[in-house]
Amino acid sequence: MSRLVELQEWVVESLRSNRGLDRDAARVAEAKQRLTGNDRLRPIDQLEIYREQFWLRHTASLVEDFPGVGGILGQAHWEKLVEGYLDAHCPNSWTLRDLGRRFPAHLKSRTELPDHALCSDMARLEWHFIELFDAADCPPLDLARLGQLPPGTLETGQVILNPALALIEVDYPVAELRQQLLARRAAGPSAADVPIPERKPEQLVLYRAKDRRLYHHPVGPEAFALLDALRRGSALVAACEHAIEVAPEHAERLQRNVGAWFQDWAKRGWIVDVRPAPATAD
Amino acid sequence: MTQPRLGLPDLGIGVGLRVPHYRAILEQRPAVDFFEIISENFMVEGGKPIHHLERVMENYRLIQHGVSLGIGSPNAPDPDYLRRLKQLVRKVNPPWLSDHFCWCGVPGAFLHDLLPLPYTWEVVELVAERARHIQDYLEVPFALENTSSYMAYTDSEMTEWQFISEIAERANIGLMFDVNNVYVSAYNHGFDPYEFIRSVPHERIVQIHLAGHTRLGQYILDTHKGHVIDEVWDLYRHTIGLAGPVSTLIEWDDEIPEWSVLALEAEKARAARQAALASRGQAQPAEPPRLHPDAAPFRDTGSGPQSHGGPRELAGRENSVLGVPVIAAP
Repeated sequence: MSRLVELQEWVVESLRSNRGLDRDAARVAEAKQRLTGNDRLRPIDQLEIYREQFWLRHTASLVEDFPGVGGILGQAHWEKLVEGYLDAHCPNSWTLRDLGRRFPAHLKSRTELPDHALCSDMARLEWHFIELFDAADCPPLDLARLGQLPPGTLETGQVILNPALALIEVDYPVAELRQQLLARRAAGPSAADVPIPERKPEQLVLYRAKDRRLYHHPVGPEAFALLDALRRGSALVAACEHAIEVAPEHAERLQRNVGAWFQDWAKRGWIVDVRPAPATAD
Repeated sequence: MTQPRLGLPDLGIGVGLRVPHYRAILEQRPAVDFFEIISENFMVEGGKPIHHLERVMENYRLIQHGVSLGIGSPNAPDPDYLRRLKQLVRKVNPPWLSDHFCWCGVPGAFLHDLLPLPYTWEVVELVAERARHIQDYLEVPFALENTSSYMAYTDSEMTEWQFISEIAERANIGLMFDVNNVYVSAYNHGFDPYEFIRSVPHERIVQIHLAGHTRLGQYILDTHKGHVIDEVWDLYRHTIGLAGPVSTLIEWDDEIPEWSVLALEAEKARAARQAALASRGQAQPAEPPRLHPDAAPFRDTGSGPQSHGGPRELAGRENSVLGVPVIAAP
């Protein structure tokens, strides 16, 4: 290892420390060897400036990304959670946008947290929002082109969903709770507390609409299963069969509504294209 | 002989494009010579960032400035990062692009900071080689910026100004010259900022940054918050006196004020630049061409909020929780 790389490894290790560096006598001594210091600051104090910034910057970024989780947990639990996360998962992407990628999985493993299942749902929801916010743009479904497709294409072809759409199953109404928490935060410290909701399983479509804002929309289990199958590449007929298999009690509702759903989903921008099934080799 | 600004155009006075000003910029179309974007904020697939970028591009010239290249990190810059950066360069078509003389992490750890490099010949060689490669790869003139720093290494073999000058000359790249950073580092390390400014190759300065900072007693933090202070304006005039008409940008990244405050700071830079060029005995540069001749002039609508500390120059994001509410679909 070159002297430069050795120095850089040492700086990174120092900055990732979650406690004040001057409590570590060995590091203080090493800093004296590696850093100049000046007439106002010891070498370890210079290093400490960067260490503090490392923690401030990344915790602030997570606060911005996961306001719902923070709102549920409160300051003390949140700080401990974030410290543990940054300790276990050093930032490793060039973009801060990806900082929370492993946060939902980390939170899921922290079963000792209060309202753990609720927080876990919230973290998954909030990470989806981050991904949807800057997912690829996609032109809306071209209805004129749809009318020109060969007969049967809709049934057997591939229905393409918007890349800025995600499906999520949650045990708690976290999307609504998140709105309440954000509203409380915007209202300031005098705002009333938001009550923790009761368990209420939901299947949600999260999406970025044409106005580039993010929305959540609850759907029934059969619609959710249908969308899930379409997202995985199933043709419409096969996707309907899958949905009936998943939610047999709602088979009739699906058969009755699928046409209207298709129109509604296209209008909302969830469906962006229908492509003929790829030719199969004999 | 090297041409002034490496032959690159003088764009006049610009400001950093930041989310809180989007509405004012898109609706009022204020007269600004150019905007500088943080590249990383727009190296995404779509959504609001790309939408806003495209709207601003319709009326203004844009420059790209990066914060995540980490040119002095142990590993060469990430190929995926460079690929995305090049995609953005092709979209924005900036006359040049810049990042920093710094490192950002080690394999497996990216710290999102502009960490200072030791000023050694080994690092000069490493950074110059990478800078040449990056400039060739991106196919656009490339510049590196002197950073603010809070620590200095015992390994250093030269001054910061010797270090950045050596790299710029060897790699044949430009200098993004941050005058506020010179001031901040001069205070933090006890050197003479005027010696720094006198000693760099002035013909390689392709752009200047100006910003506010925060005094924290024993050191100064480069927060990009608040107004440019008088001492930094003096350094700026001195720089312009030596380098001539160079595109100048106001950065304001923390406790961002309303548009009118930033616009007035830009006008102050314009006046300072004109004064410095006049005392240099140089004819005033022609007004840089604006892409929106009908744009409204700056309006003074009062002062913005007070500043008191915050992060340094880093890629901010547009998905502020309050800026982008998530809504229950009807």
